[in-house]
Amino acid sequence: MSRLAARGLTLAYDDRVVVEELELAVPDGQVTVIVGPNACGKSTTLRALGRLLKPRGGAVLLDGVELARIPTKKIAQAIGLLPQSPVAPEAITVADLVARGRQPHQSWWQQWSEADEKAVSDAMERTDVASLAERSVDELSGGQRQRVWIAMALAQETDLLLLDEPTTFLDIAHQVEVLDLVRQLNHERGRTVVAVLHDLNQAARYADHLVAMKAGRVVAEGHPKEIVTAELVREVFGLEAVVVPDPVTGSPLVVPGTPWAAPGM
Amino acid sequence: MVLRAGRGTFLVHRRAAVVAGALAVLLAVTCVAYLCVGENFVSPGEVIKVILGQPSPDELVVGTLRLPRMVVGLLVGAAFGVAGALIQTVARNPLASPDIIGISQGASAVTVGAMTFGVSSYTVLPYLSVVGGILAAGLVYVFAWRGGLHATRFVLIGIGFAIALRSVTQLFLTKGDYLVAQQAQIWMTGSLNGRGWNEVSVLGWVLLAMVPAVLWAARAQRTAGMDDDTAIALGVRLGRVRLGLVVVGVVLASVATGTAGPVDFVALLAPQIARRMTRTAQIPLLCSALLGAFIVVFGDLLARRLLSPTELPVGVLTAAVGAPYLIWLLVRGRTGSSSGGGTA
Repeated sequence: MSRLAARGLTLAYDDRVVVEELELAVPDGQVTVIVGPNACGKSTTLRALGRLLKPRGGAVLLDGVELARIPTKKIAQAIGLLPQSPVAPEAITVADLVARGRQPHQSWWQQWSEADEKAVSDAMERTDVASLAERSVDELSGGQRQRVWIAMALAQETDLLLLDEPTTFLDIAHQVEVLDLVRQLNHERGRTVVAVLHDLNQAARYADHLVAMKAGRVVAEGHPKEIVTAELVREVFGLEAVVVPDPVTGSPLVVPGTPWAAPGM
Repeated sequence: MVLRAGRGTFLVHRRAAVVAGALAVLLAVTCVAYLCVGENFVSPGEVIKVILGQPSPDELVVGTLRLPRMVVGLLVGAAFGVAGALIQTVARNPLASPDIIGISQGASAVTVGAMTFGVSSYTVLPYLSVVGGILAAGLVYVFAWRGGLHATRFVLIGIGFAIALRSVTQLFLTKGDYLVAQQAQIWMTGSLNGRGWNEVSVLGWVLLAMVPAVLWAARAQRTAGMDDDTAIALGVRLGRVRLGLVVVGVVLASVATGTAGPVDFVALLAPQIARRMTRTAQIPLLCSALLGAFIVVFGDLLARRLLSPTELPVGVLTAAVGAPYLIWLLVRGRTGSSSGGGTA
């Protein structure tokens, strides 16, 4: 089953077509990760899934209805989305920013409910930012800030969560922390997650469903164990590599070929 | 802090509520002082009698001369305060106030133009002013639009328009009759001199009509400080919200300008001081309005008495305070932009 799907999706910036005739069904309750080389259209696709970009052709469907036909607030109650570099209002506190995630559930005369209170404190607890509640977002480290943004997206309490390169700018420990959190959410709450990741090995580790894109098309999709092979890496990234089982998880681990060395060494 | 009223729940920032209360008290004291002080001192007791409508020998001085002028000052100041807050919020820039980005200048150009063509009625000028302000804002908006509203471009284009429109005003002044030019010159400094109940009623009706829009803006501006993508993800159509906030701000700034002239720097100062006092992420509109009103009324009190019997236009006073602040803002902006601007 899939609530979110792309049908014949064509995306373009001005006259440059980035994604063409893309078919994608996001499996419910799983972690889907989109990978591919730079400029392959993976972030563009994610933006379209989150209605940040209007399709040039085809459509994105939520429960069978075109996104363009659903009021944006209604979509926000079903799909949470974290852009690549979100901007916080100046000098906002952590608690205040996380609370903004409740926006789609509120109205002018219903500005704060018990459900809001619960969702916000729950989201802050899960992302381990409760102790930062009164701090200003500006003064946090990159890792802390990213956790706060994820907390905001969680507070939105949507069944679907789209994350655009959530680990960029983070060091490796924080990358693992964020990805573990995503997995945990998926597992414990049954949230459907779609993430764009840069690192193929991380993608193979955390994805239930891996989508490999190249030049605006899906080259392969399926469980990482089934699709990540030396051939796929060569085809998608143009890189010679050896694929071995990850010593910890057993998921496919991509080891690039011999590095350049000075002749005679 | 959450307020409950029937089935409605409203978010109120605790510190902002305390600050608003304190400002209201300060403003009330200033108002009584304003009515007491003048050519002849009137005791606070008599002033309160007049306000309550009881018979008093000081009825004429307080009720007819000082009170309406003060009410104009209150309304103008509040309007400038809210207008500045909204426009600064949309532009995400403390420099973006209606008197910096061409809105006051647009209002001035049209008003002074009308004056030189013989329009002198204080009930017509505010409306012309609104037209001028909206035209100027519309031009700035259109020129700053490149598939989206970029804050810095919006401010820079606004400053450009401000300079151009000031020249247009100068052109009208040199072309016009010399008496009219002198009158226009005083108006352009921003003055409450000679303002009375007529101005109060025009201004009052416009501001009353704007109340629902301001109530909407108070909540809508919560998301205006975010980027477009994040706001859309939260179900907010930021383009429309921004446009709405700018329109409300422009109408308020223009109608205030039309009544008292461009009282410089009030719209620039009030929101930033209010925000520093409340330490909220968004500029608190009520505090901003109260502070704007305080600056104008207190400024006019000083302006009336400082070089007595000569009455200065209140705009001279606000400029004396505002200009150093503006310079400070620019100097700090150059050194502090890397730390403050990076994440903002």
